[in-house]
Amino acid sequence: MAKASAWAVAVGIARRDLLDLWRAKMLLFFFILMPLLLMTMFGFIYPPVPKSNPSTGNIGTAFSNLPVALVQMDDGQTANSVAAQFIQISAQQGLFKISEIASYPAARDQIVEGNIKGIIIIPQSFSDAIAAGQPATIQVTVDETNPTIASVVQSEISAVFGIIGSDMSTQSINNISGGKVNPAFIIQPISITKIPLITGVSSSFQFLAPGFMALTVITGSLQGVASAISREREQGTMDGLLASPIPHVSIILGKVAAQTVRGLIQGFLILGLSMLLFGVQIYGSPIIMFIVMVLGTASFVGVGIIMTAVAPDQETAQMMTMLLQFPMMFISGILFPIDQLPGWLQYIGKALPLYYAADALRKVIILNASLAAIMPDVLILIVYTFLTMTVAIPLFDKAMRR
Amino acid sequence: MTLQRADLAPLSEYAIETHGLTKKFGSFTAVDHVDLAVRRGEIYGFLGPNGAGKSTVIRMLCTLLIPTEGTARVDGYDVVYHAGEVRERIGLVSEKMIMYPRLTALENLMFFGSLYGIDRAALRRKSEELLEMVKLTPFKDKLVGGFSSGMRQRVNVIRAVLHDPDILFLDEPTTGLDPQSTRFVRDLVKDLKQRGHTIVLTTHIMEEADELSDRICIIDHGKVMTIDTPQALKDKYKTNSLLDIFLELTGRELRDSANAHISLRSPMGRT
Repeated sequence: MAKASAWAVAVGIARRDLLDLWRAKMLLFFFILMPLLLMTMFGFIYPPVPKSNPSTGNIGTAFSNLPVALVQMDDGQTANSVAAQFIQISAQQGLFKISEIASYPAARDQIVEGNIKGIIIIPQSFSDAIAAGQPATIQVTVDETNPTIASVVQSEISAVFGIIGSDMSTQSINNISGGKVNPAFIIQPISITKIPLITGVSSSFQFLAPGFMALTVITGSLQGVASAISREREQGTMDGLLASPIPHVSIILGKVAAQTVRGLIQGFLILGLSMLLFGVQIYGSPIIMFIVMVLGTASFVGVGIIMTAVAPDQETAQMMTMLLQFPMMFISGILFPIDQLPGWLQYIGKALPLYYAADALRKVIILNASLAAIMPDVLILIVYTFLTMTVAIPLFDKAMRR
Repeated sequence: MTLQRADLAPLSEYAIETHGLTKKFGSFTAVDHVDLAVRRGEIYGFLGPNGAGKSTVIRMLCTLLIPTEGTARVDGYDVVYHAGEVRERIGLVSEKMIMYPRLTALENLMFFGSLYGIDRAALRRKSEELLEMVKLTPFKDKLVGGFSSGMRQRVNVIRAVLHDPDILFLDEPTTGLDPQSTRFVRDLVKDLKQRGHTIVLTTHIMEEADELSDRICIIDHGKVMTIDTPQALKDKYKTNSLLDIFLELTGRELRDSANAHISLRSPMGRT
């Protein structure tokens, strides 16, 4: 009898697995929906931020018309004028929706009730201080129960008063010097202009999308392999494969190939959606992206197989992959920069291949990195693949014949 | 104890031979020094109460489990050291159906057949011929998931003989089938014997064992209780009922026990 080649068998197994997904219409639906939903959510959490431009007094913000209260305790002319300017600038740029409230306690109650996000207080002595040629203070309270909004409100208030303050300084300098000096030189002798890393990139999501792509593809295939193998074991079909004269490595290769194809489909769905909805752009080579994605998947599959071999059933295998997958989101530099973590956690993060896959993918997609530039990442992924497979294949063999 | 490397045996008159075959799961001995000799071309009825060790023996013979002790040869090949050769020569119908519910009957046959390196055209011919034999030609392009258990089992049995294995293991092939399907599968088993397959059959239905088997082996607690032809057993125990002989040998008490070792492949396992 002719022997089936290991490769042909692996391809056959992969084809069957994919056909199975194609025929399970509801599974297919959620298989497609999951990355779309995930990406849309992440996309809206990190919305594109228009650029601030200090020279034109333009303040970039991700949020518009945030409700805040203005408590004016000074009736002086300067205070009134500053308040009017604040209201005008805020309205022009759509930053705040301002309501005037008579007292601080009443305004604070409004924060507690959740109606407003911040309070701007112009204290009683404001006009007097300015008239006396002394710096005056504006007091601010923000709704600190929501840290993101709180920091946005605080920085926007500072920015608006910055503009008002510079106007006042310009006037004073002009008065003193009689127009002989450039007021800007005195107010801010050194200014900063940002040259973007990539021209035209306005969305911070651009930098996050590759990481999410790597995360979805890799965790998807990790879980996929683990549950595909344990499902076949429980369902009994694995016996049909194991009792036939095919090398066991064909079973593994077939499962891996099917999961890689599934992962790539999800990955490119994510990419397509982020391009369409959130203006993400690809600057690098699709071929290198493809290589990184395949390597990223391959590096995790061995881990998936090891977990399946160790776990007594499908449910346990799933729990084990979840346990790996969930913290990986946080410690692999995808949602948060890895440098933010305590040292030991950084080591764990860097011990997992997701970090390198996400890093390489980010560099390729955004920075148009060449294969040579991401070689360290690529090599680590290859080494990881080999190491895990070296453990996984004999373990699989043994576990299946326990 | 370590396994002795078994030499390649010359073709013997036996399709299956085991010597001191033993399987332990932790401290539990599922199969305890079993010696079997299955002749070529016979139907070997392999009987025993639940948990007696039948399936464990079959799984070892199919290379799906590694014996703890002893040797087993299938068609002269050692199940541990020549697993590849053994796998080419056996067909397995296990307690669980070896079939993908989301493939059609023909696709299932084509998939499993391809594992044996059968040329596609020949495989297709063979599959269609076997489907015709089990009267499933009109359903060949329908998903197996929608089949009745009788239809599934018919596909499952022909799946196991696609590559013309010398030796066929049928682990409870009629369990859960209606009388019509049971009759059909039993006739199919006889037919397969006619075609020259050696068949190891396990069943809990004594009349089935009586009707089909050339010889019967009863095991209990992992040990062989008796091996003989149905007629010789009846003569020896002076009864016409194989069931009485079975109960005489294995006792009448219920087999309630709970092992710490939970087998993934037990029929109780989630599917």
